[in-house]
Amino acid sequence: MNQLLPILMAFSLSATVMANTDWNKIEADAKGQTVYFNAWGGGENINAYIDWAATQTQKKYGVSVKHVKVTDTSDVIKRIKTEVAAGRTTNGSVDVLWVNGENFKALKQAKLLYGPWAESLPNWRFVDLNKPVRVDFSEPTDGLEMPWGTAQLTFIANQATVKNPPRSAQALLAFAKANAGQVSYPKPPDFHGTTFLKQLLLELAPDAKVLQQALSPELFTKASAPLWAYLDQLHPVLWRKGSSFPKSAADMNQMLADGQLKLALTFNPNEAANLIATQQLPKTAYSFGFSKGTIGNVHFLAIPSNAKAKAGAQVFANFLLSPEAQAKKADLKIWGDPSVLALDKIPAQYRQSMQMTAPGALNEKIPTLAEPHSSWVAAIEAEWLKRYGAK
Amino acid sequence: MRIGLPLIVARGASKGSTLLAIGLICIVFLPVIPGLVRMGFDFFQISHWFAIWQDTQTIPALMATLSSTLISGVLALALSLSIAIEKYPSNAWHSIVKRLPSLLAMPHAAFAIGFAFLFAPAGWLARAIAPLMAWDSPPDWLTVQDPYGMSLGIALAIKESFFLLWVMMNLLGERHIAQQITVARSLGYQRQQIWRSIILPQILPRMMWPFAAVLAYSLSVVDMALILGPTTPPTFAVLVWQWLSDPDPQRQAQGGVAALILLLVLLTLGGVLRGVAWVYQRATVDLDGLRQPNRFSMLSWLYQFGVLISFSLMILLFVWSLAQSWFFPALWPDELSIKAWLNADFTPFKTSLWLGLATSLIALVMVLIWLEWGPQRNNAWLYAPLVLPVIPLSAAQYFALLVLHLDGTVMGLIWSHLLWVVPYVLLSLVGAYRQFDPRLMLTAQALGYPRWQACLYMKWPLLMRPILGAFALGFAVSIAQYVPTLFAGAGRFSTVTTEAIALSSGGNRRTMAIQAVLLMLLPMLAFALAAIASHWQAKHRRGLR
Amino acid sequence: MLEIKSLCIKQSKQALIGGLNAQIAQGEVLTLMGASGSGKSTVLHWMIGALDPIFSATGELILNGKRVDQIPTEQRRIGILFQDDLLFAHLSVGQNLAFALPNEVKGQSLRRQVIEAQLAQIGLIGFYDRDPATLSGGQRARVSVLRTLLAQPQALLLDEPFGKLDAVLREQFRAFVFERVTALAIPTLLVTHDIADIPPQGRVLQIEDFQHA
Repeated sequence: MNQLLPILMAFSLSATVMANTDWNKIEADAKGQTVYFNAWGGGENINAYIDWAATQTQKKYGVSVKHVKVTDTSDVIKRIKTEVAAGRTTNGSVDVLWVNGENFKALKQAKLLYGPWAESLPNWRFVDLNKPVRVDFSEPTDGLEMPWGTAQLTFIANQATVKNPPRSAQALLAFAKANAGQVSYPKPPDFHGTTFLKQLLLELAPDAKVLQQALSPELFTKASAPLWAYLDQLHPVLWRKGSSFPKSAADMNQMLADGQLKLALTFNPNEAANLIATQQLPKTAYSFGFSKGTIGNVHFLAIPSNAKAKAGAQVFANFLLSPEAQAKKADLKIWGDPSVLALDKIPAQYRQSMQMTAPGALNEKIPTLAEPHSSWVAAIEAEWLKRYGAK
Repeated sequence: MRIGLPLIVARGASKGSTLLAIGLICIVFLPVIPGLVRMGFDFFQISHWFAIWQDTQTIPALMATLSSTLISGVLALALSLSIAIEKYPSNAWHSIVKRLPSLLAMPHAAFAIGFAFLFAPAGWLARAIAPLMAWDSPPDWLTVQDPYGMSLGIALAIKESFFLLWVMMNLLGERHIAQQITVARSLGYQRQQIWRSIILPQILPRMMWPFAAVLAYSLSVVDMALILGPTTPPTFAVLVWQWLSDPDPQRQAQGGVAALILLLVLLTLGGVLRGVAWVYQRATVDLDGLRQPNRFSMLSWLYQFGVLISFSLMILLFVWSLAQSWFFPALWPDELSIKAWLNADFTPFKTSLWLGLATSLIALVMVLIWLEWGPQRNNAWLYAPLVLPVIPLSAAQYFALLVLHLDGTVMGLIWSHLLWVVPYVLLSLVGAYRQFDPRLMLTAQALGYPRWQACLYMKWPLLMRPILGAFALGFAVSIAQYVPTLFAGAGRFSTVTTEAIALSSGGNRRTMAIQAVLLMLLPMLAFALAAIASHWQAKHRRGLR
Repeated sequence: MLEIKSLCIKQSKQALIGGLNAQIAQGEVLTLMGASGSGKSTVLHWMIGALDPIFSATGELILNGKRVDQIPTEQRRIGILFQDDLLFAHLSVGQNLAFALPNEVKGQSLRRQVIEAQLAQIGLIGFYDRDPATLSGGQRARVSVLRTLLAQPQALLLDEPFGKLDAVLREQFRAFVFERVTALAIPTLLVTHDIADIPPQGRVLQIEDFQHA
């Protein structure tokens, strides 16, 4: 072992050198390219952050980044599929996209992803490999996507109206019954709505382990039965008796602020703090989680196989992975999206903003639950739509 | 129609220029056909029909669409007719008509956002009565997004009543109508009876197409439905749109078929409309000579109420764009600030601006060439996009753009807008153009000017007022496009309309209000500039006024 | 010399005018008489090159030995004057006249001088920058004639040009037009239904003579 180490070191060193020359070529190719970054555009702070990153990338690398504001990532998946089906295997309209879960799986299965590229980025060395950065909803990423940020399902309530928030699925049901018409969730297939269903499923399923396996009809029926029984009880006491749902998690924040709902949900533990700072939530808002844990995941960036500016896309992604960009992203005043980098690997100057907290942010340690296998998502959404989609 | 003028046709249109005129228009229209044909093939595949039938959302979605369309159509007609009957001709009519342009210029999406600000459970109306009812949380109102599409229908009705009233204003502007009213009054008849027995039988048949356009619009509206329409399930148009944007090709084909179903529904409604018109025209007008007194009518008050709502929601949009924190039940924001405006994203505004300018300019050139050198008869088909649902047309456009690799390009986007901008520009210009005294053209030609020069130096400058008006209208139409912008632009271009709608799914109300205000301002600016420009041109020329 | 040779005009196979022949000498004013709707204006429209497509015509129009019925209006060098003055409302009086002035008169200031001089001749000194809408009916009529003649037409068509003026003005204006036409020595065709419009010793054709029963 002791003898092997120098050899290994030498090998990795030469690999780094090689990687460096490769990377230099990528940076050179990238210069002057225009990168169309397809990312959800519904968050003001996120848009502003992307705007900042685009300016930096232009300044530092001569790569022009255009943020294509997406409402639903599945639209982008569709566009890539349609383009390739129409014979456009190069010069596609998407260069990088913000993606995870079933959308990633759909692209990976259809072999519509470029790569592997993520783990050869220079900034990969800062990534915290203890976080689930190499699997995406139980699907190996295989270097086809780069971790960008982490997320954990978090609930928001208002201290003025809710002193003791529900901390389990059953407690939530009781809470909803006690506060009829003041609890709801975004309508699936909204991302947050679906995640809420998965959270319930993880807690209610007789054997949560099966959720990590690929879906089969028997497994689904057995595992999801308690969920539907639960929803059948929950829906009559929801806002508008479940005949109508908030349009998005952001919509729920508004409704929480106006007192229409007593709970809101988000994937960002820092979102409430952020919204208080921009006066979109009252100062008495606070975050909490379920005591047995809430779903956490990582969100990624991927490059379609037919992307036009693949070099530019990697340069932009690499910048987003840099300690500078990640620290800025984690800054509560900017976006507050938790970083994927390891604190001990990055220069000290960037650590502070990654450990920041503020009133309203999630202040308690909530266990992180792994996402169910991505094949479950479509089945849950379809079944939900069938049962509750037309009431 | 060359009304009251001698039969003269300024000629000199060579085959070449006629072909150019036809060719330009064909670029706009023809590429849509292959996509429609493809959807037509899917139409005869029973599996798609089965999939649509199997989806539990289909029937309630169709019901919501039908009810919102019928409410919108019937109520809009009732509102506009009642106010015209009540007030035309009078001084009050003039002030009503004077308010029309700004109400018409207000884009539908901005109207819907404002409507929600006003009537949503946490909206301004609920806040206004909250102290009386001692509410500390918003009431459980179904005022927006109700499952039957009623709020959507009512909002559409108010907005469309302005359009129908504007159509009526143009019809009533014809001299013989006013004279007929004078004659009838001198014979001792009162307003309502004169309308029933003399005016309506003359103008209603001519309002058939505008009314069909209202129905088509209401049936396939997506932007307003996303804001005010039901969600579980959405209206059929939104559902079709979701299917068309689904990653699964089967779903897409199903969406194409459903888009054609939307077209079928419209044709059915059109058939019913024809039937009603047939009965109406054969119903005997009672001409027993009995002079009947006017009756009290509530509806004209409702129209005025609609105007009030429209102006209040415009103001409300402004206030929201300046509001800092403004939670229920506060009637007024805690603090007003222009901070949000200073940080606002003006990229969509700029995109809308250049897109609108380019599209309306190209459309104007096409329309002028068409009017001057194109065929003079059988042009009704050009107006088809105005009375057809947007979704199938837009999906067909997207198909053509994909094949040509032009989706997501500036060119593709402008082209997609032209399908709606060209007909509107044509519609707004054709009357003035056809009424232009042909002897003026002949005079210029006899003075030695070829036709295109005579147009450039004489005819088009003389028609500057309607041309600028048509240009502004084309701009406004382009600004308001939602579905075509998303499809043809491949999501790459965010305009004030797409941005406002995207933000309406949540996020910051302040930011959404800013985009809505920008959306509202752009067309108003265009119409104001057109008015100023033609006023300036006419400043020293009384003959142009 | 302006010559019409065996003109026949048909409307969907039904003959309207048949066998119309006429010769108009330089400086002569030939009057074509007929009731309204008799087809005399249609003849005029054929001559200027603006026949409604619902009609079809055979025959020749020869101006100074050159056949002109097949060439575009703007190349025929035939002037036309209608009942209405048809001044272009977006241009000033002077610009209206400049519109007619041939290209050969070059230079902004020279063109203006020529027009100012012509305006002076018809009693409208200093009217160059006036808005046509502010002129009286008689003034407008005179500007209109001037505009037609400034283009130096080689023949002139008058389509009831006196119809809309009141009696006193009409007399003056008629004299004004004939005087100018004679001075220019070009062939002129006058179309009217009013016997009073016929110039002294002028030849007259009755449209009825060429209508097929």
